[in-house]
Amino acid sequence: MEARYIKATLALCCAAWLAATGPVLAEEAKPEAKPVKLTTTADHTKFKQLQKTFDSGPEVTKACLECHTEAAGQIHRTKHWKWEFLNPETKQTLGKKTILNNFCISIASNYASCTSCHVGYGWKDANFDFAKQENVDCLACHDTTGNYKKPPGFAGNPVTKDTEFPPGSGKIIKGIDLAKIAQKVGKSSRDTCGACHFNGGGGDGVKHGDMDSSLAAPTKDVDVHMDAEGLDFTCSTCHKTSSHDVAGSRYTPTAKDNKGVQVRGKAGSGNPATCVACHDNAPHKSVARLNQHATRIACQTCHIPTYARGGIATKMTWDWSTAGKRDKDGKHIILKDAKGRITYESRKGDFTLAENVKPEYAWFNGNVQFTLLSDKIEKTGQRTQINKMGGSPTDGKSMIWPMKVFRGSQPYDPVNKTLITPHTAGNDDTGFWKNLDWDKAIPVGMKDSGAPYSGKFDFIKTEMSWPITHMVAPKDKALGCVECHAKEGRLAGIQGVYLPARDNNKLVDTAGWAIVLLTLLGVIGHGALRIVTSRKH
Amino acid sequence: MKLIKTLAAGAILSVIAASASAYDADWKRGRVYYRSVCTSCHVVAPIGSINPSTKTKAEWAAYIKADKHAKGKDTVKQYVSKAYRASIKAGNKAAEKFADTPDQELLDDVAAFLNKGAKDGDAPASCS
Repeated sequence: MEARYIKATLALCCAAWLAATGPVLAEEAKPEAKPVKLTTTADHTKFKQLQKTFDSGPEVTKACLECHTEAAGQIHRTKHWKWEFLNPETKQTLGKKTILNNFCISIASNYASCTSCHVGYGWKDANFDFAKQENVDCLACHDTTGNYKKPPGFAGNPVTKDTEFPPGSGKIIKGIDLAKIAQKVGKSSRDTCGACHFNGGGGDGVKHGDMDSSLAAPTKDVDVHMDAEGLDFTCSTCHKTSSHDVAGSRYTPTAKDNKGVQVRGKAGSGNPATCVACHDNAPHKSVARLNQHATRIACQTCHIPTYARGGIATKMTWDWSTAGKRDKDGKHIILKDAKGRITYESRKGDFTLAENVKPEYAWFNGNVQFTLLSDKIEKTGQRTQINKMGGSPTDGKSMIWPMKVFRGSQPYDPVNKTLITPHTAGNDDTGFWKNLDWDKAIPVGMKDSGAPYSGKFDFIKTEMSWPITHMVAPKDKALGCVECHAKEGRLAGIQGVYLPARDNNKLVDTAGWAIVLLTLLGVIGHGALRIVTSRKH
Repeated sequence: MKLIKTLAAGAILSVIAASASAYDADWKRGRVYYRSVCTSCHVVAPIGSINPSTKTKAEWAAYIKADKHAKGKDTVKQYVSKAYRASIKAGNKAAEKFADTPDQELLDDVAAFLNKGAKDGDAPASCS
């Protein structure tokens, strides 16, 4: 009886072994079908540290740090963490912590909302602990599930249990399972970078114009490099990262790269995210004339004919001066255009939006000077530039660049002559987005910024420039000659360069037409003589 | 007898373990295939595009399980099959790119995307 059991059990064991190894053996014959993860060398589902319930982000980070012991320290040195950057050229202290813009204006006093895009947990006020390793958010960049969310209002924390927010609103934010997300971590992707960078300025495509959710899985026409069916570049293919520090900068952009292709091992190669870093300084093989263009014109100028090409509109203007209106019942107003896009919100004012936008063009040398809260400004006929883009046709460092120029009107202090950092986000009595009261919102925001406020406010017209560099089109969609070589072409406003068909020089024109006339006379004369002489014979 | 029971239990566990090492579906690949193959064809056909967010997770799961495309005129599976991809790859880059992906893996990828992008999914998704 027992022998029968043993035989049966052994048979079962053999069957089990065959079932378990059979497919593997079969697959060894066809290695392409082997079920192995090719994008990572570690299957995080197998790590005991991650096989538990996590109630908060820092708990996950603590588990990550057990193996990745240096990761948090690396993050602590980056702009993504500090939101602070000292521009070595202008000596200005920049970074999100300091600068203002003409979108949502400033993070001061609005931390709990804005820091949903910080790579950290718990930055709710000026007392955030930047030295604590567990405060680093690994999942923001390493989530592969697409389910990791940090809703505004939670100071960069994910929500792990269903939560009503704002309290009393009846709106429920679904809790997410951090263990499931942590067990599937991997390389950063267009989705992880895009979770913040596609949504800058308060919504999809709002800020940059050349970055929106259409780049998550774009077609070739939207971006030739990121084309999900083709080259499938991620952001980090160009923004090559070292020790968690991502290459590329909005504060010190590389306007002119004359260092050629980056070769492995070559020291001092500079910014790996430029076009030249891969394509070299003379990339046009069949039409050499275009390489001469590339000495004065940024690649992006011709190769990004329009931005916001992925079907998502970008904001072009924002007028804060009209914010604060209520309907007859005293409620907030939201107006939309025919396409369902918001054009007015009581909280924010009037907007205009656009798709397939032709950039504006300017000489740009990479120098960016910001108007900070400490800078004096004057209300004149001209717009105050939030960021002055340096450049000229004669400095030897500038190229003609495409720009999104975002124009708006925002609060300023007419007595102290400074910009203003209002308290906007927040479920409290002074938050402008709740109570629509500038007199309450401004003092709180300015106090948090540590800046004086006279008690009076007005609105000032501003503009901010954003160099366009994403959404590179396929080469057959690059600009043709006549787009610029024309009287009212794209470069109509660019000074300091002679553009045939756009520009005239009386002397050159007279000499040219004289040559044409003389040539014509010569041909006619020669022909006439031939006719006359042939008749004589 | 105890040893036999242990061996038997071990054998059963090995079978479960073997079947548990299932394919880990890639929703991102599913996203590309759904948008580039399913949607691109649907846009041309009279039915138009179908946003994943127009159905619930349960509805999508039932649809995949029923395997009835065009109200049963043909199957869903055939549209993710290697044979179908081979037939359209000359004019469809996604079909070309995923030409060699095993049929079941690609179906799982698409199902994962639909589950995620469903009305009640983690990230309700559109066709574009």
